[in-house]
Amino acid sequence: MEAQSVKPISSPVPEAWYPTLAVLMLAVGLIVTASFFIYEATISKKNRSLAKELSTGAVASVFLGFGSLFLLLASGVYV
Amino acid sequence: MATIRCDLLLLWFISCCVISAPMVFSDLVISKVDRRIDLTSQIVRSFTTLKVENDGANSVSEILLPLPDHQAKNLAFLIAIVTEEKGKSKSYSDVLSVKVSNPDGMPPSLTWYSVSLPKELGKGERLSLEIRAAFTHALRPFPEKISQADAQLVLFQDSAYYLSPYAVKGQSLTIKLPQPVRVESYTKLENTKLTESELKYGPYENLPAFSYRPIMAHFMSNGPFAVAQELVREIEVSHWGSVQITEHYNLIHAGAQSTGEFSRLDYQARPHLRGASAFRHCIARLPPRAHSVYYRDEIGNISTSSLWGDATKTILEIEPRYPMFGGWRTAFTIGYGLPLHDFLFQSQGKRFLNISFGSPINDLVIENLIVKVVLPEGSKDISVSTPFPVKESQEVKFSHLDLVGRPVVVLEKPNVVPEHNQYFQVYYRFGNLSLFREPLMLISGFFFFFVACIIYMRSDLTISKSSPSYLAKLQWDEVQSVVQQVQGIINECLAIHDKMETSLRDLSRTGEVQPCKAVRKAADSSLKELSKDLKPLLSFLQSSGQAAHILPKVDELIGKEKELQEKLLLKHSTVVESFERKSGGKDADSRVATLQQKITALRQEVDDLLELLDEI
Repeated sequence: MEAQSVKPISSPVPEAWYPTLAVLMLAVGLIVTASFFIYEATISKKNRSLAKELSTGAVASVFLGFGSLFLLLASGVYV
Repeated sequence: MATIRCDLLLLWFISCCVISAPMVFSDLVISKVDRRIDLTSQIVRSFTTLKVENDGANSVSEILLPLPDHQAKNLAFLIAIVTEEKGKSKSYSDVLSVKVSNPDGMPPSLTWYSVSLPKELGKGERLSLEIRAAFTHALRPFPEKISQADAQLVLFQDSAYYLSPYAVKGQSLTIKLPQPVRVESYTKLENTKLTESELKYGPYENLPAFSYRPIMAHFMSNGPFAVAQELVREIEVSHWGSVQITEHYNLIHAGAQSTGEFSRLDYQARPHLRGASAFRHCIARLPPRAHSVYYRDEIGNISTSSLWGDATKTILEIEPRYPMFGGWRTAFTIGYGLPLHDFLFQSQGKRFLNISFGSPINDLVIENLIVKVVLPEGSKDISVSTPFPVKESQEVKFSHLDLVGRPVVVLEKPNVVPEHNQYFQVYYRFGNLSLFREPLMLISGFFFFFVACIIYMRSDLTISKSSPSYLAKLQWDEVQSVVQQVQGIINECLAIHDKMETSLRDLSRTGEVQPCKAVRKAADSSLKELSKDLKPLLSFLQSSGQAAHILPKVDELIGKEKELQEKLLLKHSTVVESFERKSGGKDADSRVATLQQKITALRQEVDDLLELLDEI
C-alpha cells in the first residue's frame, strides 16, 4: 500500500526544454529591453509616462528573469 | 613483530584464564560453525554460519557474539541474518538487530554483541544464523616498509576456534587468500591444509566455551589498499530537476610504506615488477543516467579518467596523477548530476530523498565519512532515517540565489566500508511555491535595474544649474517635448482621417448614411479641439530661439496637414452628398478621383515631414 502512495518527483518543466526556453525568453526579454531603452532615449523627459516605463520594465524583467533562470539550468547550474 | 607477539601472548593468556574458569554461560549449544574469511581485498570479510540448539530448559531470546577487543576496534560492519534451509536452497528471512552489550562477569578484553532473536528459542529448538562482518585495518603490512620493487606482504591473525560463550560441537574455518597465492608462513595446527587459494583449519569437534587458538597467516596481497582518510559527500537537491553530488576525497595507500627512491622509468617499463604494490586507478560505480561527471583536484581537471555506462550503471575509472605507492596521498574531487525523479519521491505530503550512503568507489575504506544533504531553500520538518546509527547535525549553506540559506543535514560516520552503501532517506516538507523563489529573485533583480534606469533618466545630476550650456539644454529639451506634442497631435489628426476613410468605405458597402454622418460630426469636433491645442504649442515654438531651425518644418507640416484635412472633408461631403441624392454619375466620381489623388500625395508629404522631425 505504501508503495502505491510513493511517487517520484520531477522538475516542473522537462529538462530538455531548458536551452530552447532560455533562448526564446532571453530573446523576447532583450527585445522588450531594447524597446524600453529606445523609449527612454527618444521621448523627451516631459512626455514620458511612468506607467508605460514601469510596465515595459516589468514585462522585460519577467522574460529576462525566467530566461536567465533557464540559461543557468541549461548550463548545469542547478539553483 | 614484537607487538604481534605481545598481542598473541596476551590473547593466549586471556583464553587460558577464561577456559580455566568453569563457567556455563547458557544452555545454548552450537552444533555447527562454518567460518569463511575473505582476505582477497584490504577489507577482511567474515561469513559465519551458526547452527544453534537450545539444550537447556529455559527459552533463550538472545545470542551473544564476543569479539576480542583488537578485532572489535577494527569492526566496521556486523549483521546477523536468520537463514532457513529447505533442502539445498537457503532463504534469508530477517535481518536481526545487533547491539553492543555488557554481560556481567565477563573478561574485560572482549567486546560483546548481542543478537536478539525474532522469537524465543524454546527447549530443543534449532536456529540457523548467518553472521556477516567486515573489518578494516585488520591486515597488517609486514614488513612495514618496502621498496618500489618489493611485493607487499601482510599478516592476518585470528583464532582457529570460534570464540563463543557456548560450547561448539563441530567447526571449521576457511581463509580465502588473494590471487596469485604466495604464502610466506602460516600457523600449522592439526587438520590444517593449504590448497590452491585457501587455507583450511578444521574440522574441530567438541570444544568447550571460550576456546581460543591464535593463528597467523603471512602472505602477499597487492590489491589496492585505498583508504579515504576523509570523504565529504555533498548531495545537493534542486527541484528544477537534478541531484548534484560532489565528493571530496583525501586518499592514502594504507599498505606497506614505500621507502627508497621512486623511478618512473622502471615503473613505466615493468609496472608489474617495479610497482606491484602500487595501484594506478580506482573504479567508481555511479548510478545509471549520471551526467555532467567531472574529476578534478586543486590544480584543475585531471584528464586521466574514462567513463562508460549502460542502463543499469555508469562506470567511472579515475587515475590519480601518479601511481599510488604505500603511504602516498592524493586529494581529488569527483562530481556528477543525477536525474531528480530517480531519487526524490513524494509520500503522504512529505518529500523524501532516497539515496545511497557510502562512496561509489570499489573496495574503499573510509575512515571518516561526512554526508551532507543540501535541501532546497524553504524546506521544513527535516528528518533522517538511516539503516545504521550515524551522528547527525544540521547546518546552513549559502549557494546560488539564496536569501536565508539552505538547510543542510550532516551525517557523520567513522569506519565505512562498501557494505554501508545502503539507501538512506531524508524526509522534508517543501511548498510548491517555494520553487519560484529563485526566478522571482532574478525577476526582481532585473526590475530594480529598470527602476534604477528610470530614476537616472528622470533625475537631473547637473552641478552648475546656471551655466549657459545647461540652460540651452533645458530650452532645447522643452522645444523637443513641444515638437513631440505637435507630432502627437498630427498623428491623432491622421488617425481621425483614417476613421473618416473607413466610414466612407462602410457607406459604399452598407449604404447607410447615418453612421457616416455621425463619424463626420465627431471628427469635426475633435479636429477643432486638436487645432485649438496646436495653437499654444505653435506660439511657444515661434517665441523660442532654439526652435528657429525646425520652425519652418513644423509650419510646413501643420500647413500640409490642414490642406489634407480640407481635401478630405471635401471628399467626404461630396461622397455623402452624391450618395444621398443617389445621383452618382461620372461628374462626382471624377471629382472624388482628383481629390483622392491630391489626398494621397499630401498624405505622403505629411508622413515624410513627420519622419524628418523624428530624426531631428
